[in-house]
Amino acid sequence: MDAPVFFVTIVAILTTLVGLPWMIFHYITQWKKNASITVEDENLLDELHALARRLEDRMNTIERIVAADSPSFRPSLREDRDEDLELTRSPTREPLTTRTRRRDH
Amino acid sequence: MTPRRTRFYLDKQNGKFLGVCAGIADYTGIDVLLVRVGFMLLNFATGFFGGFGLLAYFMVAWLADKKPHELDYVDREDRKFWQKVRARPGASIRDVRSSFRDIDRRLADVEMHITSQNRRLADEIEALR
Repeated sequence: MDAPVFFVTIVAILTTLVGLPWMIFHYITQWKKNASITVEDENLLDELHALARRLEDRMNTIERIVAADSPSFRPSLREDRDEDLELTRSPTREPLTTRTRRRDH
Repeated sequence: MTPRRTRFYLDKQNGKFLGVCAGIADYTGIDVLLVRVGFMLLNFATGFFGGFGLLAYFMVAWLADKKPHELDYVDREDRKFWQKVRARPGASIRDVRSSFRDIDRRLADVEMHITSQNRRLADEIEALR
């Protein structure tokens, strides 16, 4: 085996065995850095999400109580409320009971 | 290592064999049947690729941890939320903010209603004098 062929073989083997995995792992780490959030942020998000859900439940209760106390509460607010619902909240997140209740009034 | 919501785990409860496909489905939010069928189709299409697909399956099953119980979801909405966090964290943060704003607006509505009602009541009492 003469020298140029030998060098080409060495370079090819090095490229496939070292260069390629290196490149792949480089992009993997870069992707992970961009896509993921830190542990603290994750815990914070967990807490905020739980808090939002709890507050939403309480809000539903309060709205139900107020609406039961005075029937004038719902109708005045229905139009703009439904518009915003379409924009900000997905249909799955909306409890079924409140949806039907809003249509009734 | 502390358990994290954004890490890949095996899902042995819903898994057929070692829970890898169920884990992928749980992680990404793709239907588990679709993941399994896709995995098998890919294996058949590549003629099992010298067993690469199966090797990858067992490697993942060996390397990934079983899902800890403190990460069990409360309900379906919770699971959806975390699947979205894994895919696009920024969007789910905005989701949480928008739900807070929604609560704020609804609370303001209730507050306005109650205060205006009381003012009317006060006016009527005033008129009776």
